[in-house]
Amino acid sequence: MKQDVQPLIVNVKRYTLVRNLVFGWLTVVLFAGFLLNFPKINILEHTARNLYFHVPMWFTMMAAAFVSGYHSLKVLQTGDPLRDIRALQAARIGTFFGILGLSTGIVWSRFTWYVGTDVWWNFDPRQIMVSIQLLIYGGYFVLRSAFDEPNRRAKISAVFNLFAMTALPFLLYVIPRQMESLHPGAEGNPAFSQITHPVMRLVFYPAIIGFIGLFWVLYTQRVRVAWLKYRVTQDSEM
Amino acid sequence: MLLMFVMSSLFLIALAIGQDPISEHMKSALLWVVIMFSAAIGLGRSFIAEEERGTVLLLQLNVRGSQVLAGKLIFNFILLAAVDLVGLGMFSFLLDMQVENLSLMLLVLTLGSIGLAGATTLLSAIIARASNKGPLLPVLLFPMLIPLLLSVVRAASQALEGGLGWSGVQVELTTIGAFAGVVLTASFLLFEFVWTE
Repeated sequence: MKQDVQPLIVNVKRYTLVRNLVFGWLTVVLFAGFLLNFPKINILEHTARNLYFHVPMWFTMMAAAFVSGYHSLKVLQTGDPLRDIRALQAARIGTFFGILGLSTGIVWSRFTWYVGTDVWWNFDPRQIMVSIQLLIYGGYFVLRSAFDEPNRRAKISAVFNLFAMTALPFLLYVIPRQMESLHPGAEGNPAFSQITHPVMRLVFYPAIIGFIGLFWVLYTQRVRVAWLKYRVTQDSEM
Repeated sequence: MLLMFVMSSLFLIALAIGQDPISEHMKSALLWVVIMFSAAIGLGRSFIAEEERGTVLLLQLNVRGSQVLAGKLIFNFILLAAVDLVGLGMFSFLLDMQVENLSLMLLVLTLGSIGLAGATTLLSAIIARASNKGPLLPVLLFPMLIPLLLSVVRAASQALEGGLGWSGVQVELTTIGAFAGVVLTASFLLFEFVWTE
C-alpha cells in the first residue's frame, strides 16, 4: 500500500480555474437554451429544448463509465487505493447523471411520443440500456458494501466493474438492432444531423461539453474529499 | 437438489397458469426465467463450497487458476445442461409444449447455457470472497444477463413455432454466441485477480 505518496492529488489552482470556467460556460448554455428561438417543430414544439439537457446526460454517463472502468483496470495493475477511490466516485456520479437522463427522457417521451397513451415506461432500447447500466452500478455498490477489508474490496469490485463492462457492446450495438426505437438514428428514423436545426446545434454541442465539464468538477471534488477521508480513516468507502 | 428446484418451480408455474393456453413466446420466456433462476441459486455455491471445506489453499498451491476456472466452468455447464433437459421435458409434459425445430432448440439451449455458465462462474468466484454474501449473486448476475435473455427468448420461441426456420434467428444466434465468447474470454482474463487475491 502506497500511503502519503501524493498528499495533494489535485492541482488546486487548475481545479479552481476549470470549475469557474465550467460554471460560467453552463450559465451561458442555460440562458441560450431557454432564450434562443428556433423554428417550430411538430409534436415536440418547445419541449425540444430538453435536447440540451437530456442528451448530454448520456454522453456524460458514458464518459463516467469509461473513467470508472479505466481506473478499475488500474486498480488491478497497481493496487493503488487512490485508483479505487476514483473508480467508485466516477461510478457514483455516472449513476447520478444516468438517473437524470432517464427521468428527463421518461417525462419528455410521455408528453410527446406517447401523448394520450397514459404509459410512462416504454421498452425503448435506450431505456433498457440505461436501466441495465444503473442496475449494474447498483450491484457494484452492493458488492462493495459486502467487504470488510479495503484492499480486497478494491480488487474484487474492480474485477466486477470490468466484467460487467463486457455487456456494453451488446447494449450499444446489438439490442438497438433487435428492437424498434423512436430515437433519431435508429433504423428507419432520420439521423440526428438531418433533423436538428443549426440554431439548436449551436446550443447542443456546448451543452455536451458543459455537462462533461460539470462531471469533471463534481468527480474531482468528490475524489479530493474521499482521499482526505481515506488518509484519516484508511477507508476508501465514502 | 438443483433438479428438484427446477421441477418444483416448473410445477408451480404450470399450476399458476392453469388451463389457459399461453403463447409460444410466453412459454419460452418462462422456460428461460426458470433456467436463469436455477443458475443463480444452484451455481452460486461453486466457490463458496471450496472456502467452507478449506480446499482453496490446496488448489491455489497445486493447480493454475485457469485450470480451476475451466474445471468449474465445465461442471457448471453440465449441471445447466441437465437443468435445460429437465426443464424442456417437464415443460413439454406439463404445458403441452410442442418443439417444432428441435435441433435449433438444442443449439439455443447449449449456447445460452455456455454464456450463462461463464457469467455465473466468475461472479460466484467474486462473491465467495465477500464477507457477507446474502442474495448477492442474483443482484450481480441478472443485469448482465439481460442482453442474453432477450436473444435466447426470441430464438427459443422461434424454435417452438418453427415458422421461419434457421434464417429467422441468425441475429439472435450470433448474439448468443458472441455473448458466450466475450464472457468466457473476460472470465479467463479476470479470474486470476479474484483467485490469487
